Amino acid sequence: MKILRNILAASTLLVAATASAQSGQPFIHDPSTLAECDGKWYTFGTGGGGIITEDGWNWHSGAERPGGGAAPDMIKIGDRYLCIYGATGGGLGGGHAGRILTMWNKTLDPQSPDFKWSEGVEVCYSDGMEDQDAIDPGALLDPTTGRLWVSYGTYFGTIRLIELDPATGFRKSGNKEKDIAIDCEASDLIYRDGWYYLLGTHGTCCDGVNSTYNIVVGRSKSPEGPYIDNVGRDMYHGGGKMVIAAGDRKTGAGHFGRTIIDEGVEVMSFHWEADFDMGGRSTLAVRPLLWKNGWPIGGDQLKEGTYEIESERRGYALELAVDFVRMNVARAGGFGGFGGGQQTNAAPPQPVAEQKLEDVISTWPSGNIPARIGDYMFRPHQKWTLTAVPEAGGYLSNPYFKITIAGTDRALAATEDVEVTTVPAYTGAPEQLWRIEQLTDGTFRIMPKQIPGKEGINTKYVLYSAGDSTPTLAEYDFNSDNSKWNFRQH
Amino acid sequence: MFLMGVPLALSAQNPVIRNQFSADPTARVFNNKVYLYPSHDIKPPVGQRQDWFCMEDYHVFSSENLTDWTDHGMIVTQNKVPWVRENSYSMWAPDCVYRNGKYYFYFPSSPKAGGGFAVGVAIADSPEGPFIPEAESIKGINGIDPCVLLASDGNAYIFWGNGRCAKLKDNMKELADDNPKSTVKFGNREMEMVGVNCLEGLPNRQAEGPFAFEYNGNYYLTYPYVKEKTEVLGYAMSKNPMGPYEYKGLIMAEHPNGCWTNHHSIINYKGQWYLFYHRNDFSPSDDKRRSVCIEKLFFNADGTIQEVKETLRGVGVNKATEKIEIDRYSEASSDVTTQLIDTVNTFRSYQATLPKKGSWLRYNDIDFDCINNDAYMIISVKAAGNTSFAIREKSATGKVLAKISLDNIVPPETTNAPAGGGMGGGMMGRFRRDLRNQWLTQTATLDYIPKGVTDLVITNEGDAEIAVDYVLFKNRPKYFTPATAAPIAPDAEGFIHRWMLLEPINKPNSGNTVFTDSYLREHFNRQYFKDQQTILPKDGQKVQAVFKQEQAPAGFGRGMGQQAQPAQPEVKTVKQTLTWHALDSENMNVKLFRFAEKWGEQVYGVLFWAVTIIDCPEEIKDVRLAVGSNSASMWWLNGEETLLLSGDRRMVKDDAMSSRVTLKKGRNVLRGAIINGPGMSDFCVRFLDEKGNPVTNYSIINNK
Repeated sequence: MKILRNILAASTLLVAATASAQSGQPFIHDPSTLAECDGKWYTFGTGGGGIITEDGWNWHSGAERPGGGAAPDMIKIGDRYLCIYGATGGGLGGGHAGRILTMWNKTLDPQSPDFKWSEGVEVCYSDGMEDQDAIDPGALLDPTTGRLWVSYGTYFGTIRLIELDPATGFRKSGNKEKDIAIDCEASDLIYRDGWYYLLGTHGTCCDGVNSTYNIVVGRSKSPEGPYIDNVGRDMYHGGGKMVIAAGDRKTGAGHFGRTIIDEGVEVMSFHWEADFDMGGRSTLAVRPLLWKNGWPIGGDQLKEGTYEIESERRGYALELAVDFVRMNVARAGGFGGFGGGQQTNAAPPQPVAEQKLEDVISTWPSGNIPARIGDYMFRPHQKWTLTAVPEAGGYLSNPYFKITIAGTDRALAATEDVEVTTVPAYTGAPEQLWRIEQLTDGTFRIMPKQIPGKEGINTKYVLYSAGDSTPTLAEYDFNSDNSKWNFRQH
Repeated sequence: MFLMGVPLALSAQNPVIRNQFSADPTARVFNNKVYLYPSHDIKPPVGQRQDWFCMEDYHVFSSENLTDWTDHGMIVTQNKVPWVRENSYSMWAPDCVYRNGKYYFYFPSSPKAGGGFAVGVAIADSPEGPFIPEAESIKGINGIDPCVLLASDGNAYIFWGNGRCAKLKDNMKELADDNPKSTVKFGNREMEMVGVNCLEGLPNRQAEGPFAFEYNGNYYLTYPYVKEKTEVLGYAMSKNPMGPYEYKGLIMAEHPNGCWTNHHSIINYKGQWYLFYHRNDFSPSDDKRRSVCIEKLFFNADGTIQEVKETLRGVGVNKATEKIEIDRYSEASSDVTTQLIDTVNTFRSYQATLPKKGSWLRYNDIDFDCINNDAYMIISVKAAGNTSFAIREKSATGKVLAKISLDNIVPPETTNAPAGGGMGGGMMGRFRRDLRNQWLTQTATLDYIPKGVTDLVITNEGDAEIAVDYVLFKNRPKYFTPATAAPIAPDAEGFIHRWMLLEPINKPNSGNTVFTDSYLREHFNRQYFKDQQTILPKDGQKVQAVFKQEQAPAGFGRGMGQQAQPAQPEVKTVKQTLTWHALDSENMNVKLFRFAEKWGEQVYGVLFWAVTIIDCPEEIKDVRLAVGSNSASMWWLNGEETLLLSGDRRMVKDDAMSSRVTLKKGRNVLRGAIINGPGMSDFCVRFLDEKGNPVTNYSIINNK
């Protein structure tokens, strides 16, 4: 019995592994902010080199970065990429004398004839005697001013802010360093909606499954701080509000980077010190980045499972357009529930069984069944199972999913006339694969991988509430609740 | 227009402007500051002749000490001057003078009508602008390089081109009506020229850029001309502004590097004469992109000028705390050379190479008055192999400030992974890099600190070539001051700055992750010295610590690798004589790491004891002790355990709180023990009331 349970556990674990982490070989420590180049995404880590994904989900090695050292960041400025990296090891190589350098490349693709890093230029250093350790830079190109800011440093003293010239990657003439935080490393700066956010990594690094590394944040109206947390504490005094920590069989979240995919679609990249499903190795994570009351929150990985797919528009549920089959359960206790009180001699209430798939499936047509949106009654035609299809690839944050009626192979599919239907059996066709992304407000957008008759991967059309009761496919609009859905288990 | 000054992180070394090209410098003294009005070479944009001068605007710079220059930004630009031809890129050598409450900025360019060059004027109320250009150029001037002389005869004279001079009207915008006129032949063309040619008959081949000034009853007309191959700076003297002038000789010979042009100005600032000139340091392969340099200039008793030698060093005294481009040396052994650090981004400046043992360079005039006894030195250096070098005072055999060994430049042949392997080993391996010919920022404490203004010498003392870029000195921040006799209050936020700190007890720990609750209780409750939990130490009081010390337990420490648990931990008895120090922390957090660095045997793997005495005028009920510590700590109030912070911790303000406690009337003793493995160690302590407000109505006593 014990052996059998172990086997079961192992197989469950495999499923979890394919669905809850970046696929392929996402092995990295201190990943730089994701950078897109010619349709591929790149991230670079400590020690040199980096990893590449063509589809956003399957990662493999092959990115190249000279200079070694710890924890680079990468930012696209104009048509060039600026790499900012610590040339030293933050105490790993000995003392705390550190140097941060910048270098340019026209492309991140090592196969491109244009691939050539410019010589590294020092932009700041720590001298080994001061309360500072110049590694772990994070860059922000301020969208409101065009100014280029870099934060850097470790637990050995302060996190510092400097300004670079975005045209050259050199230190801005006359710029003086400013201390903006302590107790952090692998910091990064981001801007949103009038606020500057400083993200820092707190806790114990580099201790595998025991690493308590976690990402915290403070915010300021000025890039130069002060960065204040949710209880009014300055990050210069150790403040910070949690963005993401251990969970989901992974420990040690560190080295934040933010990537904006679309309006209202953001992800955060970071590493896990140890992914329990990947042998405890340090892996890349790409998670939805949510925003609540002006604070960033790390979203969860979307899990396989059976859900109500609820429209944000009306709160109705996506369902098959089939007959509503009434449940014949007598109302117990007459109308006593309406204020009359329980009859003294009544039997205790018994649970009512839910409607089952086999109770209703024979009433459903056998061919395509259109989709509809209706009152959620937790009936079989309203229960959808998400199953990851990692062999079909993915996108930043998830693999593609198939969406089937629970207990059946009936799959949600896009149609040639840009509508949505269900087909009786999942075939693996691209119109039956769905890209599901959590939006910054916590809702989801759901988009078919491909629409029959249209060229290429779909990045425009999403499952959409044409009316309260009518789903369709339409262009994604973050400002409309018609584009948004919730996956609920209740 | 709001003009904002941008201080440049630039210094006195030549060239003085290091983030852009600057040529044809006219320096003027206004309001006790030196203002520099150069022309502004740029790399020609597409469509412009690539191998010719290209200038579209002017910046003005100022300095009070000739070492710190502020760029006040662009003052005049070509397409905002009505008479200047669009995109002519011909904004050549300018001048600026102050008269009758206004600043008059003279500049040549290519006019919209008539071809050749004309000279215009722009007028401002301040030397930094804003300058408003006149709509028309000055009638009667065809040429370049204006220079205005305010003569002691009360007149203003304008010089231009190859040495022509005419009187200006009082309005400074027109030539006077009584100027002589002459007809000059240009090939077949005859032109009427206003004024006189002051260089007629003098050495004047390709003369241009006249700069005239008056000193000691003499008028000097100084000018570049071609004596042999390229321009030299010559000069002539006269008793009258418009001549006749008598040629006197050279101020500066041809540039040794072949830069064809030179152009200059001469000022007296705070009693010293200076020559401003240019050469092409940041554009060695293209002498149309030039940079301003400065040298001191001296007169002979008879009023003649001593020839000026170009230097790399330039003028001015550097504060030792400035970034000093030491490659711009005053003097060096004959084998020392300089090279651009980056031949593409030439503004990254130069390096000086000292090829072998005995090579040296000297840099003069560094002021050490700003340096205190805790200072250290930073030098940017690269080496071809393992070697050493020294920084000395005054000469190659002078007193040694610091000797720096570079013995980790060449990586070891084989990398011995630390025992236990794991991530630590891998990481360590990856950071053991080949540092040959890599720029390194080396830091050194000083064996000797010079006083006043002196010269520094770098000597190569090892077996490999070294190159140096810059040097600077830094004073260490103040972390502590000795506690005064008088009681002090907590700070406005309630933090307690005054502590009796005991020099650290050696307590080896490979990492901070071992600091579990039970480890801490066991190790903090051991006795390390007598009366550990009751002592009220005085400043300077010594204790004898005698205790059993175990081999470091297993745990991950940054930089130390994952260590295997020793099967049989080695135990030895350790004796340490330790001193209590009564200190006031400069910061809200008490920086134990810096305390240990100054007074301890070691900074990592240590246990600190801290005691403070709180004197309350009355009982304060229901307060909480709020502590942040790096790493773990334990706290006792009046002998009772009050708070424990376990694990691998950073110092976070209000990280942990005690339950409600009472501060009794009179003396309360707060005692803490803080333990740390690798990394910095510090703590912050305060009391907060029921509402979370800091408690401040007590005083902290120095137990003298």
